[in-house]
Amino acid sequence: MIRAARIAALAILAALPPWAQARAADGPVPVIAIVHALAMPVATPPVADATILIAGGHVRSVTTHGPVPPGARRIDARGRIVTPGLFSAATQLGLVEVSGARDTDDRTVSRGPLGPAFDVQYALNGHSSLLPLARADGLAWAMSYPGGTQLAPFAGQGALIHLRPSGDILAHAGAAMVAAMGDIALAPAGGSRAAQWVLLRAALAEARQPPSAHDPASGRILAPVDRVALAPVIAGTMPLLIVANRESDIRQAIRLTRETAIRVVVLGGAEAWRAAADLAAAHVPIILDPEADLLQTFDSLGARLDNAALLAKAGVEIAFSVPGNGIYLSYDAGLDLREGAGIAVANGLPYAAALRAITAAPAAIWGVRGAGTLVSGAGADLVLWDGDPLEPASSPALMFIDGHELSLSTRQSALRDRYAPARPDAPPRDTALPPAYR
Amino acid sequence: MTMHRAPRCLMIGLMACLTATEPGAAATPPWLRDLFPSTYRPLPREDTLIVHATILDGVGHRIEDGALLMRDGRIAAVGPHLADAKAHMIDARGRWITPGLIDIHSHDGTYVVPITATDEDASDVSELSDPNAADSWIETAINPQDPAFARALAHGVTTLQVLPGSSPIFGGRSVVLHPIPATTMQAMKVPGAPWGMKMACGENPKSEDAEKRRGPTSREGEIAFIRAAFAKADRYRQAWGRYLAGQGTQPDDDARLDTLAAVLDGRIAVHMHCYRADEMAVMLDLSRALGFRIAAFHHAVEGYKIAPLLARAHVCAAVWSDWWGYKMEALDGIRENAAFIDAAGGCAMMHSDSPFLGQWLNIEAGKAAAAGRRAGLDLPPEHVIGWLTANPARALGQETRIGTLEPGKDADAVIWSAEPFSVYAHADMVFIDGAVAFDRADPHRRPRTDFELGRTPPEAP
Repeated sequence: MIRAARIAALAILAALPPWAQARAADGPVPVIAIVHALAMPVATPPVADATILIAGGHVRSVTTHGPVPPGARRIDARGRIVTPGLFSAATQLGLVEVSGARDTDDRTVSRGPLGPAFDVQYALNGHSSLLPLARADGLAWAMSYPGGTQLAPFAGQGALIHLRPSGDILAHAGAAMVAAMGDIALAPAGGSRAAQWVLLRAALAEARQPPSAHDPASGRILAPVDRVALAPVIAGTMPLLIVANRESDIRQAIRLTRETAIRVVVLGGAEAWRAAADLAAAHVPIILDPEADLLQTFDSLGARLDNAALLAKAGVEIAFSVPGNGIYLSYDAGLDLREGAGIAVANGLPYAAALRAITAAPAAIWGVRGAGTLVSGAGADLVLWDGDPLEPASSPALMFIDGHELSLSTRQSALRDRYAPARPDAPPRDTALPPAYR
Repeated sequence: MTMHRAPRCLMIGLMACLTATEPGAAATPPWLRDLFPSTYRPLPREDTLIVHATILDGVGHRIEDGALLMRDGRIAAVGPHLADAKAHMIDARGRWITPGLIDIHSHDGTYVVPITATDEDASDVSELSDPNAADSWIETAINPQDPAFARALAHGVTTLQVLPGSSPIFGGRSVVLHPIPATTMQAMKVPGAPWGMKMACGENPKSEDAEKRRGPTSREGEIAFIRAAFAKADRYRQAWGRYLAGQGTQPDDDARLDTLAAVLDGRIAVHMHCYRADEMAVMLDLSRALGFRIAAFHHAVEGYKIAPLLARAHVCAAVWSDWWGYKMEALDGIRENAAFIDAAGGCAMMHSDSPFLGQWLNIEAGKAAAAGRRAGLDLPPEHVIGWLTANPARALGQETRIGTLEPGKDADAVIWSAEPFSVYAHADMVFIDGAVAFDRADPHRRPRTDFELGRTPPEAP
């Protein structure tokens, strides 16, 4: 009886969806030792035949042929690559389920008064079906950013998410204030990018002044709630993420950061290579799409595949966000981030810089300490790959977040298993019943 | 056609014969007249022998240290040891050769980059005045100055089918082009390639019609609309049949019914935009009931759920590697889609649908094949290359001319810098009809469109 009950309990555990399994696995975990790994800690050079020790949710050490403590769970990497869990510098994960079904889409506010105060932290869905797939492709961290508001040029505030399988994904709200410049967001500004920049500067000036009941000019642009939202931007504690592709807008972003204490990050940057030296001098990081080489709009006429290579060579901090027709941005956020990094390498970016652009660089840009590296004390988010992680044909063999091994099961893998062609070596499957009984 | 009339036709010239309005003079019905005939001529070329390459021939073979001989624009020979003292020789040691890639689903030339508000106001991708746009020929909209053509070419594409969009139920006729630099569409048009007709099912047409308050607003309404349109076309076709047999008066020539009649005649195959498995099954039954042939389902994100059905029907499926989720009918997309369709004996193809993916078809196939391998399927590169070459050639009805490196076929081939499905692979050289259309090492063989001229620098600073 006891045995039967135990088997039944295991069966129930196996039948739980992946996130529930991971939650059930939460709690104290033993020390883990990954041995014979090709470790790529990113912050430090690769280590061949590495022993990686994980305990208490953190990386303890990465050493060549290091000893395995007694009692540790030992995982033989057999020479395969281990990297930090990946970090997408800009996605919309957790904010959209079916982009074509607007009642499942919280990215953009198209009516109502909110501008800078629009804050996506409240919409994050930790059980979105997009998240397990992103995790199964190696993604551990992301900055999820808003699509837009009606108060130009502000799109609202992004949030940092940590793809914990428990569903508790919000790591840090107010990660960035987003302002969209150029042809992607002309309408709310009245049709001109000149208006976008005037509105941005005027709003920042207004937020800088203490509100005055006597001054009729006070509060012309910003509602009180928006003024409060901009305060950390003025103070330099919340980065201003400027979405811009044309060189002129990128140079305006550089000018803004030179004239103020505001920390500016640029997302898009199709023509950033043309301002590479000035971006480096002004310490403005660029989050770019390494797959962009089509002249998608008049703002991107200078798009080229070696953008990443040229910027890195000039000393600009780069990170990647791969929108891929808008689909890769969220629906395949892990896989196609790696593909983009691979394409950057194919077009001249050193491999280490490409790996950094999807790990340590976004962690640095968004101020997440201990993410994106395998240095001692870093959070134990790491991936053992079945091949070269920058080849999209590769996949995680094992993945850990906070030191817990994750299930790599997804809704897609369940569909795959349900409809997989019968294999000759597989036990006969009951084909008399529809797949829904499988 | 009667014997005594045939010489008269020849005397007054072929075009006059085909377009004759005199009763009984027409030898054929009007629906296959090519109003915009191809003026394509191959680029200047020389006989070429490529040696020491790893060759994926598209037929299923992988030849190590192989050679490819192209003579007079045709494949002359493929094999381990070839020689031709007169041919220009290229040493491709460490590199790979495949047939030229075929993109079965492109909007290049109509979704023209850079996209502007002009396109938002009125795009050339679809004619939206009616859910039945069977009378529109997408070739009449092609802008050869779309930089996306050159990007596709630079990534190994030698032939592409431009399809109308999926907002109308009947989108109109497709056209098959070479993505070569040209000032007219006719100069890109592949001679002899048949038209296809685009049709669409599911969300796109019904939401377009609901928004415009005209035409079917439901899936069931779309099917009813298709039945009514083909019933009318069949009456038209029969009227032409009676007229051509010498009975009755000449029917009015109707461009919309022409296309549908050609479909019912089996002269134009349907390229059917569908996502869901149930919708594809309904369309297969409908095609049998009404007598039209579906060459391929396009997008087919649930193709894997009915893979044996697709294989039995001999209908190809053009799919993406990993697009899913962005609309309700795309929720069940899985990366093994192509591999499972293939495993059932079906005809799997990768397609782009966008100028963005039109540059990365090789990576698309690499991702899709990797997913299939992880699911336990045996998918070596020499087999997977067929998803980009032999299979789309078949769906275009061009399998006797392109899609493989067999002797006698058009010399469309690509030299890749590495294993072609790798993210690191570059198309080093692209040959169309034996001519170098793109050479990564030669600035004079890297086409730049008029649009780019004077705007974007050709080289890194």
